[in-house]
Amino acid sequence: MFRNYFKIAMRGFGRQKLFTFINVVGLSIGISAAVVIYLIVHFDFTFDKFHKDGDRIYRIVTNYTYSGNAGFNSGVCGPMGGAVKNQVTGIEVVAPFFTLGQPDVFIPGNTAVPVRFKNQENIILADGNYFKIFEYKWLAGSAQHALDAPNQVVITSDQAKKYFPTLSYDQMIGKIVTYDTLKTTVTGIVQTIKENTDFNFHDFISYSTNQTNKTIADQLQLTKWGATNSESQLFVKLSPKTKTAHIEKQINGIFNKNYKERAGVSHSYHLQPLSDMHFNENYYNFFDDRIASKTTLYGLLTIASFLLLLGCINFVNLTTAQATQRAKEIGIRKTMGSSRKQLILQFLSETFFITLAAVIISIALTPLILKLFADFIAPGINANLLGQPNLILFLVILTVMVSLLSGFYPAILLSGYKPIMVLKNQSVPNSSKSHNAYLRKSLTITQFIIAQFFIMATILVSKQIYYVMHKDMGFKKDAILIISAPWKNLTIKKNRLLIDYIRSIPQVSLAGLGGPPPSEDGNNSTESTYMDGKKEVKIELDEKYGDENYINVYHIKLLAGRNLRASDSTSGFLINETYARLINPQYPLEAVGKQIEKFNGDKTMQVIGVVGDFNQMSLHESITPLAILKGNQTYNYARIHIALKPEIAGGNEWKTAIASMGTYWKQIYPDDDFDYRFFDDSIAKFYASEQHTATLLAWATGLSIFISCLGLLGLAIYTTNQRTKEIGVRKVLGASVAQIVTLLSTEVVSLILIAFLVITPIAWWAMNKWMQSFADRTTISWWIFVLSGAGMIITAVFVSSFQTVKAAIANPVKSLRSE
Amino acid sequence: MLSLQHISKFYQVGGTRNFVINDISLEVEAGEFISIMGPSGSGKSTLLNIIGMLDEPSSGYHYFVGETVHQLKDKQRSALYKKYIGFVFQAYHLIDELTVYENIETPLIYQDFKSTERKAMVADMLDRFQIVGKKDLFPAQLSGGQQQLVGIARALIAGPKLLLADEPTGNLNSKQGEEIMQLFKKLNKEDGVTIIQVTHSEKNAEYGSRIINLLDGRIESSKQL
Ligand SMILES: Nc1ncnc2c1ncn2[C@@H]1O[C@H](COP(=O)(O)OP(=O)(O)OP(=O)(O)O)[C@@H](O)[C@H]1O
Ligand SMILES: [Mg+2]
Repeated sequence: MFRNYFKIAMRGFGRQKLFTFINVVGLSIGISAAVVIYLIVHFDFTFDKFHKDGDRIYRIVTNYTYSGNAGFNSGVCGPMGGAVKNQVTGIEVVAPFFTLGQPDVFIPGNTAVPVRFKNQENIILADGNYFKIFEYKWLAGSAQHALDAPNQVVITSDQAKKYFPTLSYDQMIGKIVTYDTLKTTVTGIVQTIKENTDFNFHDFISYSTNQTNKTIADQLQLTKWGATNSESQLFVKLSPKTKTAHIEKQINGIFNKNYKERAGVSHSYHLQPLSDMHFNENYYNFFDDRIASKTTLYGLLTIASFLLLLGCINFVNLTTAQATQRAKEIGIRKTMGSSRKQLILQFLSETFFITLAAVIISIALTPLILKLFADFIAPGINANLLGQPNLILFLVILTVMVSLLSGFYPAILLSGYKPIMVLKNQSVPNSSKSHNAYLRKSLTITQFIIAQFFIMATILVSKQIYYVMHKDMGFKKDAILIISAPWKNLTIKKNRLLIDYIRSIPQVSLAGLGGPPPSEDGNNSTESTYMDGKKEVKIELDEKYGDENYINVYHIKLLAGRNLRASDSTSGFLINETYARLINPQYPLEAVGKQIEKFNGDKTMQVIGVVGDFNQMSLHESITPLAILKGNQTYNYARIHIALKPEIAGGNEWKTAIASMGTYWKQIYPDDDFDYRFFDDSIAKFYASEQHTATLLAWATGLSIFISCLGLLGLAIYTTNQRTKEIGVRKVLGASVAQIVTLLSTEVVSLILIAFLVITPIAWWAMNKWMQSFADRTTISWWIFVLSGAGMIITAVFVSSFQTVKAAIANPVKSLRSE
Repeated sequence: MLSLQHISKFYQVGGTRNFVINDISLEVEAGEFISIMGPSGSGKSTLLNIIGMLDEPSSGYHYFVGETVHQLKDKQRSALYKKYIGFVFQAYHLIDELTVYENIETPLIYQDFKSTERKAMVADMLDRFQIVGKKDLFPAQLSGGQQQLVGIARALIAGPKLLLADEPTGNLNSKQGEEIMQLFKKLNKEDGVTIIQVTHSEKNAEYGSRIINLLDGRIESSKQL
C-alpha cells in the first residue's frame, strides 16, 4: 500500500512541479533553520549535564551591594573554603580551587633549555576533593592520593601528550613540570573530558602547595575575610535532599561572625547550581569562558519555529487550494472501497514524502550553513549525523511533526469529500466564501504578520546599531591605537622607553601612558566625599588613570581649570561634568579648586579641571561621575595610547608604523607577543551581540519574506487560474490590463494591511522592551512601521504580478472558448 | 437480495420540500438484470446511488443481503459496499494519475489482497477484456470505449455480487455501446452477477430482464421481459 502511495505521490509531484518545488523549498528553509538552531541550542543546553549527581553540585558565589549597586563575584573570600568544610552541615564534599593566571610551563627535556609553553590557561590549584565532585577517568595515578602533598600535579591526557609526546601515561608519573618558578611532580593522568563542559582545566596542582610556596599562599589570601577574588572558587556537593537555603543560611552566618561589613557594603553568599553556570551572565566562569545567553537561545528557537511555520503554511495553503483538482480522485477511491482512514493515510504519506525530501536537503545544507554562521556558532558544533544519535532522533521527530502540521488539515479536508458530490459533477465548495478559503486567508495573514515583524525588528535594530556606532561619545575613537604592555613583565621604565620610541615615529601625532581607554567594558569604581559646608556629599565614581597626554589623545574637552601636568603630584585630578554637577549643581565649572575628602577611603584630592562628559562604557550604560587622575601603581600605566596621523587614502603608513613599534617592542619585552588594538574596533565590540542579533534578524527577515512570497506566488497562480473565465468576461466588457491587475492584487494588499494592523502594536511593544537595555537609544520612529508595511506590499504585489499580469494580458477569446 | 421500502429523498429548497425520490418500493432478486429508464431529472441517478449506498435517503427502509442498511453505521455500510457492489460510471471516472493496470488493481488494495494475488487477478481481468497491451497506458491515452472497458474491469475485479451502472454507454457510440451490453449480458448469464443499469436507450434497456420507468421520483411502470 505504501509503495502505491509513493508511486502516486511521485506522479502527482511530477505533474505539479511548481507547487512541489515551492513546498519543498519552503520546508527545506524552515527545517534547515530548525536543524542548525537545534544543534546550537542542544550544544549549549548539554553543558556539564553528564556529571554524576550534577543536581547536587553547586558553586558558592558572592553577591554584594556597594552603595546601592549590585555586584556579583563567582569566587569567595580565601578562608571560606576551610570554614565551610569544618562548620557547615549537609554537605558531602567541599572542593575549593584556585585558577592560576597564565603561567609559562616548562618541561625539562634532553636539551639544556627546557621546552616552554607560554601563557597557559586552565591551570588550577585543587585538592583531591575536586575529583570527588567531578569524576574523571584515571589513566595513571589515583584519585585518592594524587594531590595529597605539596608540589604535585595531575594532568589531563590531551595536555600530557603535549608535554610528553613520547611517553606512555605510566611513564609520565614522576616527571617534573615547572609553572613559572613552581616545580611540581606529576602524580596522575586523567582522561580529558570529551563531553561539552566549561571545566576545561588540564593541569591540577595540589592545593596544599600553599604550605610550602609563599607566592601561592599570598594569592590564596586564606585568612582575609574581606578580600573576594573570582579566582578563588568553591564547589560543594550537597548531601541528598539538602535544601540550598539551609546551606546558604549557615554560610552567611559564618561570614557575618567573622567579618564586620563596612558602611554601604554588604555581602551575601549563594549556591549557584551547576546547570546555571553556562548561562548566568552575572558570574564569570574560569578563564573567560563563553557564557551562553538563554534569551538568545530562546530567540533562535522562536526564529526556527516561525520559519518552520511559514513552510507548513505554504503547504496547507497550496494543498487546500488544489483540493478541487483532487476531489475527483477522492470520490473515485471512495467508490472503490477506500475508507476515510486510508485516504488520510495516503495524503499524510504524500506530505511525509515532501517533508522527507526537505529534510534530506536540509541535512546536506546544514554543514554549509554552519560554515556561513561560523562567527556565531561555537566551534564544537557540527552536523555529523553518525556521532550524534540525538540529532537523528531530532530529525525523525521533526519529520513526523512537520508532516502532521502541514498534512493533517489538508488530509482531513480532502478525505471528507462525499463521493456523490464529485460523481454528480457538482463542484466541490471552494468559492471565496467557504470555510476553507477563510482558513487560507488567515494563514496567509499569519505569514505576513511574521514577515512584517521580522522586517520591523531588523530596521529598528539596525537603526539602533547605527545610532550607537555614530553617536558622539564625547571622545575621538578613530585613528587611535592602544598597546597593552604584558602585565607579567611590565615596568613603568620599560613602558617609558617604548613610548619614547613610539613618539619618534613620524606617523604618531601624540602618545600617552595610562590605564584603560575612556570607554571600556568593566570599570574601576571608588568612593569620595565632598563637604558642602557642613553637609557630607558621598559620591561614587569611576577612575581612569592617565598622564598629561591622556585627554588630548582622545580629544576629551577640557571645560574649566587646566589639564594634568607631568610635574603634578597624584593629589590633583580632573573630574567630568556629571561629577562637577554633584558638587555644584548650578555652576558645575566652579568645582575647580574644590577639595575632595576620603577619596579611595582616605586620600584628600583637589579638582584641577573639569572635562566634558563622555561615555565610560557602552551606550547600554549611562554616564556616571568620573575622575581622571595620575596613579602611582605600575598597572596605572600599563597601556600606551597613541593618536595616529591620518593615513593617505590607499596608503599603508599605519601598517609600517605598527610594524616598527612591534620591532622595538621585541627589544623591550622579548618574551611577549606584541599586543595592540585599534580603539574603534574595541568600541564596535561593545555591540557585538547586537550585531549578531541584527545579522540573524536580517536572515530571518529575508527567509521569511522569501518563503511567504513563494507561497503567495503559488496562491496567485491558483487564483488566477480559477478566475480565468471571470478575467476573460471582464476584458470583453472593456476592462484594461491595469484594472484587472488591480482587481487581482486587492486581496493580497488587504491581507497585508490586516497583518500590518495586527503586528504593529505587538512589534512596537517588543521593540520598546528590547531598547530598554540601552541607556542611550534612538527613537522608535513611525517610519519604521510604514516602511515595513509598504515594503511588504510592494514585494508581494511585485511577486504576484508575474502571474496577475500574465493573466490580465491573456487573450480573452482563448480563455472563454476553452471553458 | 435487495429491498427498498417507502424510500423518499427530498431537498429543502426555500421553504418547500422538493421530492426527488417519492415513496419508492422495490424488490430485486439475485440474478436479475434491471434497466432503469426515465426522462432527465426523474431521479434515476439518485435512486441508483441510494441502492449503492453512496447517497442516503431522507426516509424509508433499505435492506441488502439480509442487512438493515438504514440502521448501519458508515463503517459497516462501506464494508458491505466493498464486499458486494461494483460501480460503473457514465464518465468512466478513472484515476488520471494511475495506469490502466493500477486503476484495475486499486479496489483490491483497499480490500487487502496480497500483492501476488492482485497480480494474478488483474492479469486475468486484462486478459478477459483483451486489454493486456494497454495495461501501462494512462486513461488519457485511451479512447472512450476503452476507458469504459477499464471502468467495468475495475468494477468487476473484486467479484461483486451487484453491479451498478449509471449510463455506462452514455458517452459511447452505438457500436461500442452494444459491445458493453453484450458483456453485461454475459456477466449476468454466465457469472450470475446481478446488474442494475440506468440508460436512456430503449435498445440497451432491452438487454435486461426487467425495465423500470421513473417519472418525477415515482415508479411509473415496471415491465418484466
Ligand atoms: N443537491 C441537490 N439539491 C437540490 N436538488 C437536487 C440536488 N441533487 C439533485 N437534485 C435534483 O434531483 C433531481 C433528480 O436528479 P438525478 O440526477 O437523479 O436525475 P437523473 O434522472 O439521473 O437525470 P439525468 O437523466 O439527467 O441524469 C433533479 O431534478 C435535480 O435537480
Ligand atoms: Mg443521471
